[in-house]
Amino acid sequence: MSVVQISGLKKYFDAVHAVDGVDLSIQQGEFLVILGPSGCGKTTLMRMIAGLEKPTAGSIHIDGADVTELPPRKRGVSMVFQSYALYPHMNVYNNIAFPLKAQRREKKFDKATMRSKVENIARLLEIDELLDRRPRQLSGGQRQRVAIARAMVTQPAVLLLDEPLSNLDAKLRANARDELKDFQRSSNITAVFVTHDQIEAMGLGDRIVVMEKGKIQQIGTPQRIYDDPANEFVATFLGSPSMNILRAKGHRFGFRPEHFLPKTLQDNPENSVSFHYFVKRVEYLGSDRLVYGYVGGHENELTLAKVPSNIRVSLDIDSEYEFAVHYDDIKYFDEASGERVEAQVAGAAWR
Amino acid sequence: MNALGFVLTNFWALLVLAFLGLVGLRIVWRVRKFGATRRELRHVLRRSPFYFVVLVFCFFAAAPFLIMFLHTFKTDGDLYRRPQPFVYRQEPTLEHLDALFTNTAYLDFIRNSVLVGVAVVIITLLLSLPAAYALARLTGRWGERAGILMFLVYLVPPTLLFIPMFRIVVLLGLKDSPLSLIVVYPSFTVPFSMWLLQGFFKAVPPELEEAALVDGYNRVEAFLRVVLPLSLPGIISTVVFTFTLTLHEFIYGLVFIADTSQRTLSVGVPTELILGDVYFWQPLLAAALIIAIPVGLAYNLFLDSLVQGFTMGAVKG
Amino acid sequence: MKLLHLGNFPLDNRRLIGALFLTPALLYIVLLVGFPFVLSIAFGFSDVTVGNTDLSFVGFRNFLAVWENDIFRQVFETTIRFTLISQVFILIFANILAVIFTQEFTGKWFARFVFILPWATPVSLAMIGWLWMLDTKYSPIDYLLLQLGLLGRGGLLSDNRNLFWLAAPDLAQISVIFVQVWRMTPLATVILMAGLSSIPTDILDQAEVDGSRFMRTLLQIKLPLILPIMVIALLFSMITMFGDMTVVYVLTRGGPVDYTRVLGLYSFQVGIEGGNLAQGAAISLFAFPLLLAMAIFMLRTASRAEVR
Repeated sequence: MSVVQISGLKKYFDAVHAVDGVDLSIQQGEFLVILGPSGCGKTTLMRMIAGLEKPTAGSIHIDGADVTELPPRKRGVSMVFQSYALYPHMNVYNNIAFPLKAQRREKKFDKATMRSKVENIARLLEIDELLDRRPRQLSGGQRQRVAIARAMVTQPAVLLLDEPLSNLDAKLRANARDELKDFQRSSNITAVFVTHDQIEAMGLGDRIVVMEKGKIQQIGTPQRIYDDPANEFVATFLGSPSMNILRAKGHRFGFRPEHFLPKTLQDNPENSVSFHYFVKRVEYLGSDRLVYGYVGGHENELTLAKVPSNIRVSLDIDSEYEFAVHYDDIKYFDEASGERVEAQVAGAAWR
Repeated sequence: MNALGFVLTNFWALLVLAFLGLVGLRIVWRVRKFGATRRELRHVLRRSPFYFVVLVFCFFAAAPFLIMFLHTFKTDGDLYRRPQPFVYRQEPTLEHLDALFTNTAYLDFIRNSVLVGVAVVIITLLLSLPAAYALARLTGRWGERAGILMFLVYLVPPTLLFIPMFRIVVLLGLKDSPLSLIVVYPSFTVPFSMWLLQGFFKAVPPELEEAALVDGYNRVEAFLRVVLPLSLPGIISTVVFTFTLTLHEFIYGLVFIADTSQRTLSVGVPTELILGDVYFWQPLLAAALIIAIPVGLAYNLFLDSLVQGFTMGAVKG
Repeated sequence: MKLLHLGNFPLDNRRLIGALFLTPALLYIVLLVGFPFVLSIAFGFSDVTVGNTDLSFVGFRNFLAVWENDIFRQVFETTIRFTLISQVFILIFANILAVIFTQEFTGKWFARFVFILPWATPVSLAMIGWLWMLDTKYSPIDYLLLQLGLLGRGGLLSDNRNLFWLAAPDLAQISVIFVQVWRMTPLATVILMAGLSSIPTDILDQAEVDGSRFMRTLLQIKLPLILPIMVIALLFSMITMFGDMTVVYVLTRGGPVDYTRVLGLYSFQVGIEGGNLAQGAAISLFAFPLLLAMAIFMLRTASRAEVR
């Protein structure tokens, strides 16, 4: 069942088309990640779901009701901001209780109910010891929990999260990511998470929405997005180092550095394409060797190979090797639009 | 005179007309941009209580200035005989405005005020630019304390100091000379502008100065070549507000200078344009309005900058 | 011989440059404010007059004389009353206006220009406008009330054709307070605007998503967050008001009788116009402990309410 249904959504800031025609349906209980480079419109999209921005065109339905013209408080959404936006003059209890107080008249619950709601959510997020503290007395991780508790206390239909992990340091971040995912699973809340960090997106998302220039480029599971990119942008945006793209007649094709291996190591050499690979530089990364070079016929296009370190093949600088890629690992893109095409359509000659 | 006469004799009708016209234009413009006339009208209706409150406040703020404007061009007969203060029954006249500039010391007052203002601005900048930079960047704790002291000094009202100041001015032989004001005014303009400039300096990223230091300049050069040019907008607004502070000052001006031709605007106009009990109302009101409008415009133009300086000084201070 | 170790690069020495940059301003202020202030205290304990420049010590005679003077007591009381009453209105209006002017609306630039005028105009010149507005005979306000039937024969407010704004004791006091509120509200508003615009937008967006409406956001989020700045605004306008003599000097010269005489004006009249510098100094010195207490109290409140 879809909780949020977005159709034809647009937001223009004068000449800037921040969101330019987005259709999206978000399922009950799923963890949806919106991923894209900065300025791709992902935050604007989220703010429109929250009701903080009015769309230029299009509609948003939440739980079947049209909320396009409704203010945030009538939508049943809540949001965690990047800065957490905790009210600095209120203690943790009052911070969490604030949305309840604001909606008290409409939802009709008394003080005791409110108290128990706050205490329950605080216990769930293990911040029940901190209820009397002020935000400035909390650590980064604790602040994040308070922000999530405040967002969850009203039992919203959708929880919106705007890069909430980016204020934490690297060590805390991995931990917080796990906790967030566990919490989302156990509470079965529908979550929309905006980020520009692909590792975060791959780790958290049930599905990922890749955005660029105000448009959705692809929607799918992390694996689908990585293995089966819809176009050149998605193919190159995900993965580090990013996919090698080479020019051919009438199309472009690409393959990921980790699929580009010495021919002798390919488990199925007859089902792969061979290239003459000229090695220019090798970086040792510990678990892998990152090889910089170019393939015959594409001298101007830098091509990378990621060779696991446990493969003990010597790779010398300024030497030529025979490398190969499995047929299935080569993706073809239309020269003009960058859209994915099949090998036959592309007219690839080597099968 | 004819155009002015027309405006004055039909003042209220024109005011209402101009207001309605602007509202109409605005609605038309929005309808053209967003379409949907009915939604537009509903928008206007929903916003009208807000605008009503704004208009009421504006009216209270502007009332004396409106009256000043309306009275400047009235003939004596129109002003005093069975007065109807809001309308013109006789032809508007420029005679009083003319008298203000030719028969009174008004031009002297303006000259003195400008002279004092410019001199004080220069002294203030010379003293407060380096001092504010020192407070913003260089000095640690004791600088902070000096800053608080400055703030407290700014709060010492002139009424507490004018008697001993008067004595000092007499001793220095500066009585009846604008020089006395030039010496004394920095006592409140320096703390004020230091406080404001400090805020602007703090808004300059320290990395820029550090880059200059690495590039081969010393601290003083970094201040002169990097910080000063970057905070120029802030410095300009500090200059504007410092100048107007001197323009506003009344007590020292009243106490130190008794000679009509040496007085400044704020003192000269209310004391010298009144002869005992005889008020020359039209020139008086005109004299006030002529100063009020440009200063008001300057304030409005530099207000955002002032607010910014204040916020930076307060938040990061 | 080196008295002060400057290091090899004096122009890069932070402390040295800091001291060098700060000292001239500090010196000027200490000389120009500190010295007169000490002198003021010395005057208070002496019998100096405009004619007699010798400072001979007379102890607490001036202060006692001032304190036992009924006029002084009334003046002191009036000053405090004016200050307190006007602050209430200034705070109310400034809060409303600050909220208005931190929003976007058509014609904001012009509205802001108009509403800043009372503060931008030199006080003494703005008072000329009010002098006419409140004129005993020609007051445009009276004219308006007359047209509305509130004045004149059978009028609701008075049978007279005029209210005598500045000549009737109660009305004169009300007028002075009104004019003070009129001219000081813009400054307080601007300070509050600075506070409001420094609230992070995230916090306000969060409040909106949390379901808070305009009034709740204003009362529970915005106002508590700008409380420290509000206290500073209050401090500013209270001290300005307490020390002001310009408004009453132009409008009433303290009259009718002593009803609008405030401390600053009284000190001016005794010290300069009356030539008794010693007593004038003593009068203004009475204001000092009060001002100091006010400043300390408010700065403490402001720093205690600091939430960041």
